[in-house]
Amino acid sequence: MRQSFYVFVRGLHLYVGLFLSPFVLVFAISVIFLVHSWVPGSGAPAASRNATNLSIPSDFERLKGREQVAAAHALLDQIPVRGEIGFVRQFPKERRFVIPVSVPGSETVVELNVESRSAKISSRTTGVADAMVFLHKMPGPHNVNVRGNSAFMTVWRWLADATVYLLLFLSMSGIYLWVVLKNERRVGIVMLAAGALSFGGLVYALVA
Amino acid sequence: MPSSPEQQMPAGNGPRAFTQGYKTWNRKLHFYLGLYFLFFIWLFALTGLLLNHSWAFTEFWPNRKVATVERQIKAPADGTALDEARDVMRQLGIAGEIQWLTTQPGDSGRLEFRATKPGLQFDIKADLKLGRATVQRTEVNAWGVMRALHTFTGVRMNDAKNQRDWMLTTIWALSMDAVALGLAVLVISGLIMWWGLAGKRALGLVALGCGILVCGWFVVGLRWIGV
Repeated sequence: MRQSFYVFVRGLHLYVGLFLSPFVLVFAISVIFLVHSWVPGSGAPAASRNATNLSIPSDFERLKGREQVAAAHALLDQIPVRGEIGFVRQFPKERRFVIPVSVPGSETVVELNVESRSAKISSRTTGVADAMVFLHKMPGPHNVNVRGNSAFMTVWRWLADATVYLLLFLSMSGIYLWVVLKNERRVGIVMLAAGALSFGGLVYALVA
Repeated sequence: MPSSPEQQMPAGNGPRAFTQGYKTWNRKLHFYLGLYFLFFIWLFALTGLLLNHSWAFTEFWPNRKVATVERQIKAPADGTALDEARDVMRQLGIAGEIQWLTTQPGDSGRLEFRATKPGLQFDIKADLKLGRATVQRTEVNAWGVMRALHTFTGVRMNDAKNQRDWMLTTIWALSMDAVALGLAVLVISGLIMWWGLAGKRALGLVALGCGILVCGWFVVGLRWIGV
């Protein structure tokens, strides 16, 4: 019984780990970029184009929050620009809006002029490294009321959560697989204690 | 449960013994790294969840404690704005990462900056000519501390003005690097162990392939299809 449970957990640890490994690598590699505030290959120049005769809802300037973002998506479909809207910045006096739209690896800024029913669209490719950084930070704690306004971000939110839960499962099952191996216990305990001391010491020094 | 025979240390020399020894140490590395980084991984994983969800019970900013005091200070010796800020912090007994907000270095006479550490924030406004400093101390609860630990790097993208200037921030940033490298090694050592299990290669390829497809779709696929 115990043997079969061990084999079952070992198999699950293996296959869950294999599925999760690309996600773990994306989060791990992007940490290096974030910690050193450096993203290779993200400085590509922006390409611009203009769009005219846009159909802008009459109440667009009065909308707020989610409703405004939903209306912006419908408007951007005409251009067409698709992706996650970061925010909608309104310049009421000029009847102008600036709307940044992102997908991992590219960024588009739409400057919408309500008066002339036109838009200037600047797009640039930010690259794979930036895509990983973007995904690492998304959906994140900012602009909570509008974040997750694209289908891919809704799915990514779910996947980012799943990565955490599966990583916790991997660590718990890993502990079980280690504990069962008697001849690895002593060194394992030393490593666990060393890790706990480093972690506790560092956090204490930072917070105290 | 003892290690299986093929996983035990080999005897003798030669390529076969080398391969076996390599496999054994790869497996040990997987165990030991996982155990060493366990608490770091739990912290960053759980705080990642906190950052992605605005759960009411994890709120910290509305519950912050703010206190303002005014203190006398001595004019710091001539130096850079960073030197002066450090001197003022030393006099006030404050430690933390300096964050420039509005002060323009070279604006002699006034020094305004923020010193932060996880859970604490000091907004310091010093009038160097009058020898007076106003310190606003903002303290957040444990949820705020945890969230800050996840993002406490001392630098931000597209903000060259702020560089790491506190030794503990540097150590914490290096530990983040170490955790990231440790996770990468865990993945690679896991892949090596899996490939050594001939009977599990096929199903393993399916699991790994699914992971690469789904993750790759987000990292490169979305841009290609122009979502």
